[in-house]
Amino acid sequence: MMEKTEMIGDKDISVERTGAEARKLNFKNELCGSCGICEKICPVDAIEVNPTGAMVRTEQESSKLEIDENKCVLCGMCSCICPYDALDLEIKGKTIKESDEYPHLLKSSEIDEDKCIYCKACETACPPGAITIARELPDRSKLVSGEIEIDKETCIKCGVCEEMCPAEAIELDYKFPTSDDPTIASNINIDKDKCVYCLVCKKACPVDAIKGVCRLCSYGDYDIKAEDAEIKGSSDINEEVCVNCGWCKDICPVEGIKVTKPFEGTVDINQESCQGCETCVMACPCNAISFPETEEMGGISEKIHIDEKYCIYCGACEKACPVDAIDVKRTKIHSTPVKSKSWEKAFESIKN
Amino acid sequence: MCFKYTSIYKHFYIIFDDNYIYIEYISVINTHGVHMPKHIISGLKYLAAVELRKKGRNQREIAAELDMDRSTVSHYLNGRNVSWNSIEIATVIRNTCPKDFLALTYALIKDKDKTRTIIKTCLDKKYDCKVKTSCIGCGICVDACMMNSIVLDDLKAQIDPYWCCGCLICGEMCPTNSIEIKEVKNDGENRDDR
Repeated sequence: MMEKTEMIGDKDISVERTGAEARKLNFKNELCGSCGICEKICPVDAIEVNPTGAMVRTEQESSKLEIDENKCVLCGMCSCICPYDALDLEIKGKTIKESDEYPHLLKSSEIDEDKCIYCKACETACPPGAITIARELPDRSKLVSGEIEIDKETCIKCGVCEEMCPAEAIELDYKFPTSDDPTIASNINIDKDKCVYCLVCKKACPVDAIKGVCRLCSYGDYDIKAEDAEIKGSSDINEEVCVNCGWCKDICPVEGIKVTKPFEGTVDINQESCQGCETCVMACPCNAISFPETEEMGGISEKIHIDEKYCIYCGACEKACPVDAIDVKRTKIHSTPVKSKSWEKAFESIKN
Repeated sequence: MCFKYTSIYKHFYIIFDDNYIYIEYISVINTHGVHMPKHIISGLKYLAAVELRKKGRNQREIAAELDMDRSTVSHYLNGRNVSWNSIEIATVIRNTCPKDFLALTYALIKDKDKTRTIIKTCLDKKYDCKVKTSCIGCGICVDACMMNSIVLDDLKAQIDPYWCCGCLICGEMCPTNSIEIKEVKNDGENRDDR
């Protein structure tokens, strides 16, 4: 028989319908951008997005949206249109995102491993923290060339070289002097794996006990192999967390990232009615909005700055703005073919 | 963790709430003197057997289709082993609207497949089943249809008129009012178009 249940676990919600064709709608609060597209597309008005401003400004007990299980018919429209993949409908345990029958947003972000130099700029810039760059740096000792030696007879174990060595390559074994062995250190060693032959120690040594030479300028090209300088690594974008905002693509110095955004559109901020309250800045899941920097006192030309390079036209800012100063228009939805007329109409309805 | 629960069938208690059906039985029993729902089932099976016989099936085929002994079929067709009261009540049930016929039969038999067979055999009405383009493919009708006559194709419901019994439960549950089912006369003319 057909039964409907709603589970609310922490802030995640799931609505389930049993029957011959068991359906389950899962909402992941963590991924939700509070953009309200689901609320707009729902054909039975079962979804209500909680006030974004309150959600982003204070720690809230409730979920970012409410699903009325008495109204929800588990059609899956919200799941197909959500740009943040926060909603997912499963039919017979299988997500409709993998089914050809349902339309999917065409959105992706990919790092070209051949181009990536593992600089970690994208990892730092990524608003939802979806990127992980793991890199393995070359052996420092293979990138330098030289010779160094300490004349232990001349050395007075004063420790000046140890204190000055920028690579922390020199170590003295200090000890308390005894009548039997009246020295302050038993030994001094240079770690050749750490030494970069800068020769600071040689110049600083008060008794000229250190002999050394750097060969980098004269023989560097012969001594150092190109493959030893190579940086190895791997990059990963967590698809579930990624919002396809384009920050990584824009910040990448080698143009190694391709991003396809789910929507095309425009954003307009009414600078006159904007009160500069910062709610949109906090609400934007794509970090596309900021307060402009001023060069001189009183030199602000706009209250809020938005860069559409990073915008996916989700409309979270428009929804959050308390004075309706933001207007987000979606003009195009990138999706796989929509086969049903009513779905086509629903997809059209979120354009404006 | 909080837990909410509702049944979307709550207004169809007649199908799923055994107590309610039981109350129905009592009124039937008092007026007709029948003591067990089993007897009414026998009456329904008798009606189905007679229908199948009219369609030219032999006793073996009828027995297989209705999941009965061949000898019972033989007795039924000869008017034995089944009380006229049971047949009378079964006829009353058959003559109720398709939704009630379906609901009462399922409440008595409690088996979806056997219910389908009885309904399909005893009802020879034809239906014109249309699904409008406003259908969103939510699948509620697929799960609701006791006759298993609905499938989803490209996010749109498709109703097989062969199996449709005209109960209209699908249309009542449809969130977008996309289902239109009309009875057609045997000559194919739509009854509502007269």
